[in-house]
Amino acid sequence: MVRALRRVEGGMRLSAAFATRLGALRRPPVLESFLRQVYFTGVTAATGVVLRASALGVLIIAITMDVLDADVDLAVKILLAVVFREIGPLAAATVVILRSGTAMSAEVAMMRVSGQTRALRHLGIDLYDYLVVPRVAAVMLATLVLTFYIQCLAVLGGLALSPFIIDASFTELTERLFQLFAPVDFFYSTVKALLFGFAVAVCCCYHGLNPPDLTLNAVPKVVTRAVTQSAMLVLAINAAFAYLVFGILFFGLVTAKL
Amino acid sequence: MKSEAGLAVSYLRTDGIAEIYVGVPAGTVARVHLPGEAARARFVTALLKAKCESGDALELFGEPVAGLAPQARARLRRRVAALSPIVGLMTNLNVWENVSLPAAYHGTPPLDRVAGLAVELLADLGVEPRTFLARLPEELDAFERKLAAFLRLLVARPELALLDGLDEGLGRAERSRIERFETELRERLPLATLLYVDCKEED
Repeated sequence: MVRALRRVEGGMRLSAAFATRLGALRRPPVLESFLRQVYFTGVTAATGVVLRASALGVLIIAITMDVLDADVDLAVKILLAVVFREIGPLAAATVVILRSGTAMSAEVAMMRVSGQTRALRHLGIDLYDYLVVPRVAAVMLATLVLTFYIQCLAVLGGLALSPFIIDASFTELTERLFQLFAPVDFFYSTVKALLFGFAVAVCCCYHGLNPPDLTLNAVPKVVTRAVTQSAMLVLAINAAFAYLVFGILFFGLVTAKL
Repeated sequence: MKSEAGLAVSYLRTDGIAEIYVGVPAGTVARVHLPGEAARARFVTALLKAKCESGDALELFGEPVAGLAPQARARLRRRVAALSPIVGLMTNLNVWENVSLPAAYHGTPPLDRVAGLAVELLADLGVEPRTFLARLPEELDAFERKLAAFLRLLVARPELALLDGLDEGLGRAERSRIERFETELRERLPLATLLYVDCKEED
């Protein structure tokens, strides 16, 4: 219990440090580290893994429409409510956890175990500035971009596939999509993607910087903890968002178009 | 511990078993042999952090480090640099990135001056700069790693340069090459204090 509370406190302290030290991105080595992380998290993930993730979205809409015997309206609503709002950010977060969360936590833990973090401190380089800020900022940006990428692919795939399952043309579906699309969908997934990226990066950096001991055996333990807790955090944020948004919709504070 | 004028380092350790005192006059070259790895790590860490453990007393440049404000401590730390296993190279950065990292982060000295110094020093030591600076630490041998760390130390232009375990892990030929380090340091930083730190040989 005490350990869990200590982790929460550590995570919050790391989050606060990130928020107050964003200006460190102006320093050349920090900016370079940020760009490197954007490349590894965003650009390299935008090929095979993301294509497979977007295929998941297409599959979900195909099965749902087939089971529910959907028409044009329902097909588009499923695209917006399920694929755009939920599957997109979740798939991006999953890709980020599996690809970058593991690498990031292992890299930081290795630096800690091998004494490189101590060397950085002796060189007068702040660990938050050099290790945490660029990684958290880069993962947030990369998760957001990956989310949009997956959403576009999944929605396009869904629109292209639906005419084979329901009695509607691609043009009809596209027109209906633009009619039903509301800015709230965009903001909802943007905020969620940024929060997912933030939670994953902070969790991985925290565990990397705080291994259970300073031996090589600690590295796999760090990775396991970082990945498990990142996934739990993402699910918790997703649940909180769903409750908040659908709760507000339920109480009529926002007029739902869906 | 009485404050002595003109000392760059004044260190006293009294842990009940043995007493260690190190006093190094500013601007000199001194050698310290400490009894064992733990004592050495403790001494070097105290100097690099400008902060000592309980039971130790340390003065840097005549200023006691106990009870210093964080900013004053940071100012003292900037005057000390080390070539030591404690301050290793970053494994995911190449030699140039390692050497220029503190300068790029702190914004001083300018990177073109760092590059000039690196090229000049490497040429003096007979090392091809372009190839050497592009290599990762894992591709370097023991001498080359010390050379990269020495380059980083020179860039910092410290008033107190710690050379910790300088010839450890080196062959005879490499030891003779590493003696050039002191000459280079004296030429480039004539006012700096050089402190060699080693462990006493076990009987």
